[in-house]
Amino acid sequence: MDGVPETVTAALADRQVEGQVCLEAGAGVGNTTAGLLAAGAKRVYAVTNDADHAATVRERVGDGNADRLVVIEADLRATPLGTGSVDLVTAHGLCNVLPPADLDAVAAELARVAKPGGRLVVDDYAVPPTDGAVNRLFALENAAARVVDGRPALTFYPVAVLAAVFADHGWTVEHRKTLLDPVPWTEAHLDAHADVVRGYADELPDVIGEPLAAIAADLVSAIGSERTGTMYSLAFRLVDV
Amino acid sequence: METRALGDTGQESTVLTFGSIALNWLEQAGANQLVELVLDHGVNHFDVAPTYGDAELKLGPKLRQYREEVFLGCKTQEREYEGAARKIDRSLNRLGIDTIDLYQIHGLEYEEELDTITADGGALDAIREAKDDGKIDHIGLTSHGDPELILDAIDRIDDLETVMFPLNPVVAGKDGDEYDYEAVLERCEAEGIGTLGIKAFAKGSWPPTDELAEADRPYANWYEPVDTPEGIRERFDFAAAQGLDTVVSPGDPKLVAMVLDAASRSEGMDEARQRALIEEARHDDSPVPEQLHH
Ligand SMILES: C[S@@+](CC[C@H](N)C(=O)[O-])C[C@H]1O[C@@H](n2cnc3c(N)ncnc32)[C@H](O)[C@@H]1O
Repeated sequence: MDGVPETVTAALADRQVEGQVCLEAGAGVGNTTAGLLAAGAKRVYAVTNDADHAATVRERVGDGNADRLVVIEADLRATPLGTGSVDLVTAHGLCNVLPPADLDAVAAELARVAKPGGRLVVDDYAVPPTDGAVNRLFALENAAARVVDGRPALTFYPVAVLAAVFADHGWTVEHRKTLLDPVPWTEAHLDAHADVVRGYADELPDVIGEPLAAIAADLVSAIGSERTGTMYSLAFRLVDV
Repeated sequence: METRALGDTGQESTVLTFGSIALNWLEQAGANQLVELVLDHGVNHFDVAPTYGDAELKLGPKLRQYREEVFLGCKTQEREYEGAARKIDRSLNRLGIDTIDLYQIHGLEYEEELDTITADGGALDAIREAKDDGKIDHIGLTSHGDPELILDAIDRIDDLETVMFPLNPVVAGKDGDEYDYEAVLERCEAEGIGTLGIKAFAKGSWPPTDELAEADRPYANWYEPVDTPEGIRERFDFAAAQGLDTVVSPGDPKLVAMVLDAASRSEGMDEARQRALIEEARHDDSPVPEQLHH
């Protein structure tokens, strides 16, 4: 199994994971799923709405964990999980890909599937400083997403906003910590974001798509890499509302 | 400069140790000046080896002048009694002193070497004998390649008092037992063994020699070093924050002044920043598929 990033280890450090039924909300490439399994989770439901991600997670962390890992392809606004069935929910890098309307629905669904007194860990990026060069790439990504999907690809929620949205569904903040300060946006990260832009560009007529992809490529080479902003972790507990 | 207990040796070492190999590249007058500069910054722990060209000889004069102020580590790559006994005397001679404070078995790489060293007629016999004779005060070990071997050595050498090993964000970000120096740090902490970090300032390997001939490298280091004031400060702070007792300065004299400045002004590094450096290094050659997040 590939390594668990320090961000994930730090976010889970003071959480009870061993013996717990966990939901990894937005499994991505499986970093947090790997972290939960390594920390002794009884079972991990790794949920993503992306078939490729589901396959990647199975391939990367499935080996030797067949009895503990359940990868589920589903929408986090309505999962097939039972009400009050999960001890610990993790959402690592999920919220920034959820537009505000979806965020609210997801917060509600996570509250539904969690046991009373259940825990939630939300790790995400603070709003990047306005002078960050990466903002130019993120803005391009959002512009392309709006044209193609009618919704933004990325939303960086201030900590207080995120806490308030979850509070509406019974989640109260237990504590907050900083996972990364600064955030290292490496060439690999920027390339991945440029790939997203290229994905949207492919959906558009060449006359728009080609220059869009070219701008993304230019931005990546102009920025190279950048350290900016912070990544935070919020630990919540579910209380009766 | 901050000092830290070097394990249970009783020595309080500055958080920066002067890697005296840097003297090898200087004429005697320059070497003397560099030692003065290092001492001016309060550094009280020096490290040297017989394999570092003329470093022992060049360190000698100033070391003798300030003998009381310097805790000196030296090393041997010998694995058997005869060789080690000879090297101890040779180093004492070349340095012109009576006692080496810390004598380290240098560059342990293979389990078989550990067998040889610890066997009857092995290097440890000579080192312990020298200790009984007052030529050496403490026994240490250095290893560049294998944390598990260091743990084995700790198990097998009861009187081992310090270990020296590589530590930087690149190493810290790598997975797998062959990079698990954290386990070594924990073990040393638990057993009162002193820890010295090397390669704190390593940026990466030099380009292959057909691209950049050895003679054309701008630094004497075995690796390409970080060489800006911010980069050096960051690397020093990172290494010092990992729980090492002391961080060894890089082997090129051109970098030493910057490192002294960084160590003198260090204010530590919080965990979010340490993680940022590790994450940054980890993504340089990540085995994980393309990802948008950290
Ligand atoms: C950036 S990744 C998260 C990384 C992951 N948590 C990790 O630790 O590696 C975001 C994931 O959330 C998924 N996702 C986004 N919106 C979703 C939704 N409405 N329902 C289900 N999954 C969603 C994406 O498909 C992707 O797998």
